[in-house]
Parts: sequence; C-alpha cells; structure tokens
Amino acid sequence: MKLYSILILSKVQDKAQIIASQFDLSSFGYFQRGSVQEFMNFSSTTIAERTPIGQRQSVESENNVAHVYGHPQDIWGIIISDKEYPSRVAFSLLNKILDEFLVKFPRDKWNNPPLNYPELNDYLLKYQDPKQADTIMRVQNELDETTAILHKTIESVLQRGEKLDSLVDRSEALSSQSKMFYKTAKKTNSCCVVM
Amino acid sequence: MSFKDRTNEFHSMVDRIRSRNTASSTLERRSLLSSPKFNSSSNNKKPTHHSRSEFSLMAGEISRNITNTAGKLEKLTKLAKRKTLFDDKPVEIGELTFIIKQDIAKLNKQIAMLQEYTKGQRHPSKQATEHTSNVVVSLQSKLADTSMNFKDVLEIRTENMKMSKDKRDQFLFSTAEQNAEQSFVSSPLLKSRRRGNADSPPQQQQQYDPSSSTATNNNSNSALLAQGGYQPQHEETDSTLSLGIPMITPEQQQQQQQLMLAEQDRYIEHRSTAIESIESTIAELGGIFQQLATMVAEQRESVQRIDQNTEDIEMNVMGAQRELLKYYTNISSNRWLMIKIFATIILFFLLFTLIM
Repeated sequence: MKLYSILILSKVQDKAQIIASQFDLSSFGYFQRGSVQEFMNFSSTTIAERTPIGQRQSVESENNVAHVYGHPQDIWGIIISDKEYPSRVAFSLLNKILDEFLVKFPRDKWNNPPLNYPELNDYLLKYQDPKQADTIMRVQNELDETTAILHKTIESVLQRGEKLDSLVDRSEALSSQSKMFYKTAKKTNSCCVVM
Repeated sequence: MSFKDRTNEFHSMVDRIRSRNTASSTLERRSLLSSPKFNSSSNNKKPTHHSRSEFSLMAGEISRNITNTAGKLEKLTKLAKRKTLFDDKPVEIGELTFIIKQDIAKLNKQIAMLQEYTKGQRHPSKQATEHTSNVVVSLQSKLADTSMNFKDVLEIRTENMKMSKDKRDQFLFSTAEQNAEQSFVSSPLLKSRRRGNADSPPQQQQQYDPSSSTATNNNSNSALLAQGGYQPQHEETDSTLSLGIPMITPEQQQQQQQLMLAEQDRYIEHRSTAIESIESTIAELGGIFQQLATMVAEQRESVQRIDQNTEDIEMNVMGAQRELLKYYTNISSNRWLMIKIFATIILFFLLFTLIM
C-alpha cells in the first residue's frame, strides 16, 4: 500500500496547471523516475481537465490508481497510489489537504507555479501507512486490539473462577479438619482425670 | 413609546469606569511613593485587579464569539430545513458548516486557555476563585449546547438530503431501476455504449498523445470490466460533453447522470460502512464487558464462601488452642498438687520416726 504522489492543480482557461506537487518514487528504479514523474504530471493534468467540480473519480492504469477530486473552489487534488490503497482514505486525505492549502494560499498566490508547500511531503510520508494515519482506520484498529485484550481477560477470569472453586474446596477441608482438632483437644481436656 | 432619560445612568457609568481606572493608577502611585515594605502587598493587589478585569475581558470576548457562532448556526438551521428539491444550496451550506466547525474549535481552544489562565492565577478571596471557575464552567456548557445544536442540524441536513435523493429517484424512476440493477454488473448494452464512446474521443482529441490516451482508455475499460469500482468512462463522456458534440442521446445522458450521482455517493457509502463497522465493534465490546461483569459477579459468591470457611477455621483453631492451654495448665497444676501431697507424706514419715 504505497502513495506515489500528491498533486494540486488549478485550471487556467480550461487547461490544467500544477500548482504544487510532491513525489515519492523510491520504489521505481533510479533511471525510471524521471519518466514516471513526467507521466504522472501529464496524466494528472489530463484527468483534472476531465473532472467536473465537486466530483470524485478514481482512474486505474496497470497497477496504479489516480484518485482525483474537484474542490468547489476551482482547485483539483490528485493522489496517485497503488491499487490496494483504500480509496476512502485517499479522498479524505485529499479533502484535508485541499482545505489546508486553500487556507494557506489564497487565490491570488496561485499565479506563479510551482508553489512550495512542504506539508505535502509530511502528508505523503505520514499517509504511507493508512492504518495509522486515517482516523477511522486507526479507531477500528484500536478497537480490534481492545477486543483481543478483552478476550484474553475473559480467559483469565475463567481461570480465576476455577482457582476460586479449588480454593473453596480446600478451605472447606481445612475447616472440617480444624473442627476435629478442636473436638479432640476438648476431649483430652475434660474426661478422666490425668495422673 | 415613552422616552427614558438615561443620561444620568450614563454619567454614573462613566464615572465608575473612570474611578476604576484611577483606582488602579492610585494604587500604582501608592506603590511608587510608599516604602518597599508595602510594595509586595500593593503589587499583589495590582496584578490581581488587572488580572480580574483581564479575565472578564477574555470571558466577555468568548461569550461574544459564542453568540456569533450561535447566530451562524441559526442561519445554517434555516438553510438546512428547506425542503425544496432543486434550489438546495450545498456550496453555501458546506461553507457555513466549515466556518462553524472552525469557530467551535477556536472557541474550545480559547476556553481551554482561559481555564489554564484561571488555574495559574491566585485570587485574594475564595469567592473570586469560585466565581471564575463558575464563569468558565458556564462558558463551557454554552459551547457544549451550541455544538449539540450543530450536530442536530447536521443530522437534519443528512436526512433532508436522503429525502431529496429519494424524491429525485422517484422522478427519474425508470432509469434508476435500470441502473440499480446494472450498477455492479455491466450489461452488454452499456458495454457497447461505453466502447462506442471510447472510440469517439481518440478521433477528436488529436492534440493529446493519442497512444497514451487510448492506452489509458483501453486499460480503464478493461479495469472497468474486471471490477465494478469507480468507472472511468466519465473521462470519455465528459470530453464528449465538453466538446459539445451530441454523441449521446438524452436517455444515455440521464443514465450517466444517474451513474454520476451513484459515484458521488459511493465515497460516502464507503465512509458510512466503515463507521457502521466501528459502531458494531463498539457494541460487541459493550457485550464483552457485560459478560465480564456477570462472570465476576458469579465469582463473588465463591469468594464469600471461602471467606466464611476461613473464619470458621480461625474460630476452631482458636478454640482448640484454648483447650490445649487449659490442658497444659491442668497438667502443670497437678504436679504442684503432687508435690504438696508428697511433702506432707514425708513429714508424717519423719514425725513417725521421731516419735519412734
């Protein structure tokens, strides 16, 4: 489950333009990286031009998927990842990134691409493992761990029950023995005067 | 409406505020003129005086923000309650929700800061500390009420959206039925239509690299046939729509609009299923906790029996020890008796021999 790149684009007279982007192409061979990046740039501009505003799409090719979302404020976000990456996480990440980007860079600063937006790199690194970064998946994970722990707890409570039962038996035996002890002592004390 | 002449009140308020300001300045002057001995006490008074007014300023600002947010929430409620089918303003509602969310988060932070501020402050009287803590608690409860209202409004909005979607489906009834059956299984009709669309764009868009576009189209088509996920044929339909060439009939357009709506909802459906699974996990956890509690309650009875038994044991053993002690004293006391008896017998013997 890998994220390859995050790109933010805007449309200038019906042609898409990349405003900010980050790539993590470490899984490709060194000499392939340049061409892969070029391909990603081109395909993301193509896809963004064909996505209407307010719509989410996922485009597949070979083993990679491009998740694209057209934000209502005329800005497109694209995440390129492999097929296994859950699309829900990708789209929620896109929402988050686009909202923060809009807060940080208002519209007038979009004129000189490419802008430097270092948070993209942080997001790219953090969301490589969607299970930890996405809140819903993290909550689900923690809940599963908690259920496992609870199952173990119930096991140990069952064992505690068994031990408690054995304790009950032993204490009953001890009680009867101590009663015999008491009776014997009483008997030796009272009957027949000792010499 | 009779007019009330409140200039006197206004004058008295102004005088009060001025006296408050001059009081603080007189305190300052007093600290400057007086000996260093009094400095500490007046210094203590001054910051607390300022800090108390600072506190009230911050609290006033927070309550003002809360009322602003409540006003925005009212606007949002009005917008969300509209039940019109087509004049829904999703953009505005979305923006308003976003703004309100941000406001609530900011207010939360401000109240937390205020709370820390009051904790770090020492007040001369216990009542002042109580007052500040009460103010903070009331602000928190006001904010909690606002966020509860916000949540209710969001729920109302989702219900309305669902209702409007159902109504829309009713109007596009026939196509909806077709597509509901075909959303996961691609029918041959749709397949042929998509392939027809796939052929048209490469002919018209010669400015793009034709090989890559056909490659992606073919791959996307094969991926589409392979799995019923998001359908990328929208690229092709969008391109035909944007070029304005009526390659598709109105019926097909309706179908694709339906598909697009279904696409939009798919992300939301994913999210809702994920959250539902979380909810079921939590319910499961609750059941497990219940079981745990029942088992421990059952075991409590065994523990009580054990307790009883050990008490009996202790009683018996103590009693036995008492008996043995008595026995011991008996034995030792008999010896004393014997000694005394023997002593008297010996005395008698001695007496007899002496007489003899």
